[in-house]
Amino acid sequence: MNLIELKGIQKSYELGKTTVTALRGVDLSIAKGEFTVITGPSGSGKTTLLNIIGCLDRASAGRYQLDGQDVSNRDFDDLAGVRNQKIGFIFQNFNLIPVLDVAENIEFPCAVRKDAEKPEVLRQKVERLAEAVGLKPYLHHKPDELSGGQRQRVAIARALITGPALVLADEPTANLDSATSEQIIDLMLALNREQGVTFLFSTHDARVVKHAKRALEIRDGVMVP
Amino acid sequence: MALLKLAVRNLRRNRRRSTITLAAMIIGTVAMTCLRGFINGQQRVIIDNQVEGRMGAVQVHKRGYIANVLTSPLALDMADTPELRQKLAKIPGVVAVAPRIEFGAMLSTPDKKPQPDDGSLLPPADQGKTSFIMATAIDPQAEALVTPLRNSFIRGGKLFASVDAHDIVLNDDFARGLEVAVHPEGTPLPKVEQQLALLAPDRDGALNGENVVMGAALPSFSPGDRRIGLVPLGTAQRILRMEGRVTEYSLAVSPFDAAPRVRDAAQAALGPDFEVHTWSELMPFIGTLTNTQDFIFSVISGVFLAVVLLGIVNAMLMTVLERVREIGTMLAVGMRRVQIIQLFVMEGLVIGIVGGLLGIALGYLIVTLAGHIGIPLPAPGAAVPSVVKPFITPLYLVSALVGVPVGASLACLWPAWRASRLRPVEALQTA
Repeated sequence: MNLIELKGIQKSYELGKTTVTALRGVDLSIAKGEFTVITGPSGSGKTTLLNIIGCLDRASAGRYQLDGQDVSNRDFDDLAGVRNQKIGFIFQNFNLIPVLDVAENIEFPCAVRKDAEKPEVLRQKVERLAEAVGLKPYLHHKPDELSGGQRQRVAIARALITGPALVLADEPTANLDSATSEQIIDLMLALNREQGVTFLFSTHDARVVKHAKRALEIRDGVMVP
Repeated sequence: MALLKLAVRNLRRNRRRSTITLAAMIIGTVAMTCLRGFINGQQRVIIDNQVEGRMGAVQVHKRGYIANVLTSPLALDMADTPELRQKLAKIPGVVAVAPRIEFGAMLSTPDKKPQPDDGSLLPPADQGKTSFIMATAIDPQAEALVTPLRNSFIRGGKLFASVDAHDIVLNDDFARGLEVAVHPEGTPLPKVEQQLALLAPDRDGALNGENVVMGAALPSFSPGDRRIGLVPLGTAQRILRMEGRVTEYSLAVSPFDAAPRVRDAAQAALGPDFEVHTWSELMPFIGTLTNTQDFIFSVISGVFLAVVLLGIVNAMLMTVLERVREIGTMLAVGMRRVQIIQLFVMEGLVIGIVGGLLGIALGYLIVTLAGHIGIPLPAPGAAVPSVVKPFITPLYLVSALVGVPVGASLACLWPAWRASRLRPVEALQTA
C-alpha cells in the first residue's frame, strides 16, 4: 500500500474576479520509505501540491489518501489531528518558536496533544532525537542562539518527534550555506535509510535532487511524466 | 500547563508592551478599589449619622403609626412599661432600648423689649417669634446608648441631663433664624418671661406649654431637617399629658447588619398590635442615595474597565499580527484552533491575575491607610463634622480578584478567535 495516493487533484484560487488554477489534475503515488523530490519552476504548483499533501490546504477536486485514510474532505480540526499524528514539517525558514528552547521546540507537537505523554517520557524521546541530529549540547539554547544549520536540525527533530509516516520539507536548504546544506541532506538521508522515514521535498537545489531516490517534476500544475 | 508556560513566555517576549498593559491594569484596578473604598466610607458616614446620630437601627411603634405620622401620631401611643422594655432588650442582637415621643410643637421666643406702656405694639423687629418645630422627646441616658453619635455633634452646651430638665436642644440654623442663643451652662436661668415657650397640643387638642431654655445646638444631619428639636421625655410627657406613655422605641443592634433579623424577632415578640421597621425602611432616601452612588460607581468602573480592557485587546491584536507565522507553525504541527484560543486567553488571564493582584493589593493598602487616617468630609447635605474612613468589603475583594482576570481573559477572546481562524497555509507564508 502506498503512503500517498493522489487522484485527479485540482486546486483553484479566487484572486479578485479571476480564478487561478494551480493544480490541474495531479495523480501521484509515493510508497513508504521513499526519499522523493518534487522540482519545478516558481509558480509551477509544487508548494500548493506540498500544502495539500501536508493537509495544510484542501484540494478543490480529486481524492487524497494518506496512509490508507481518505483525508480529502476532513474538517479543519480533523486535518490538524492528521498533521499531528502522521506528518512532520520542515520549513525553509525553520519556523521555530522563539520563546521555547531547543528541547521544548522539539517536543512541541507531542506536548500539544490531548493525550500528551508524561514530561519525563517525552524528554527522553527529545534527548534521543537531539542526539541523532547532533543537538544534545544545545537542548537548553533558544533558537536565536543557534546557527542556521542548527535551527534546521531542530526543525528536523521536531518533525520526527511524533514518529510521522511522512516528513514534508519545503526548500529545506534554501537558507543554508553549501556545507550546512550537505550536512542536512546527509542527516535526512541517514534518517531515511536507518529509520525508514518517508521524505518528500520541494526544492530548486540540485544537490538535494542529486541525492534523491526519486525525482518528480511539476510544471503548470501537472506532473511531468 | 504547557500552554500556560508558553503564555507566560510570550508575555515576557515584549516586556515593554506587557509592562504598559500591566501598568494600565494596575492603575485601573487601584483607581476602582480606591473609589469603591471611598464610596463605602462615605456611605458608612451617611448611615452612621442617621442611625447612630438620630434614628437608631430599629424602631417599634403602634401599628399604623408610620402611615399616620403626619396626622395623629400621638393617638397611636403605648405604655412605657419596664416589661415592654425588657421584652425588647431580650431580643438577640438588641443592645439598648430608648423610648421617645415624636410630636409637633410651637416654640415662641420672648419679646426683645418690654411692651410699651402706652398700649402701642412693639416694632416687628423687637417682637418675639413663634415657629413650628418637629420635636423628639428623649431619655438622655437611654438615648446615649442608641444614638451615641448625637452627643458628639452637640455644640455650644450639653444635652439635658435628665428627663425632667427644662432645657431643650434646637437645630443651630433654626435657632439662628429665631435669634435664640444657647443659655450658658452654670448661669442662673433668665426670668420666666425671658425664656422660650414650648407649646404643643395634646391628644385632645388642648394646647399646653412650659418655659424652656436652649441648652445646646445640634447641626443638620441631612437636607431639610432644620426645624427640629430635642426635648426631655418627662417634660414632653407633661406638656402632652402623656405621663408614662411614648410613641416610639428605638433599638440599638449589634452587629449592625442584624437589623432585619431584630426587626423580625421584635415583630414576633410584640405581636400584631405593633409595627417594627429597620432604619433602611424608615429612611428609604438613604437607600436611594447609596444606590445612586453605587450606580455611578458602576458606570465609572465600567468606563475604567473598558479603557483598560480595550488596551489589552489592542495589545493582543498587535501580538497576533506579529505572531502570524508562529501561529501558522503551531497549527501546522497539529495545534487545534481551540488551543490557539486557550493560549491567547491564558495570556490575558496571566496579565489579569498579576495586574489584578497587584492593583487590588496596592488599592487595598491605600484604602486601609486612608481609612486609618480618615478624610474629613461632611456627608452630603449634612453640617455635622464627619470623617470618611474608606474601607473595602471582602465581597468586593473577592469579586475584583475574580472579575479582573476574567475580564482580561474575555478581552483576549476576540484577538484569540482571530488568531485561531488563521489558515496555516497562508500564515506560514507571512514574512
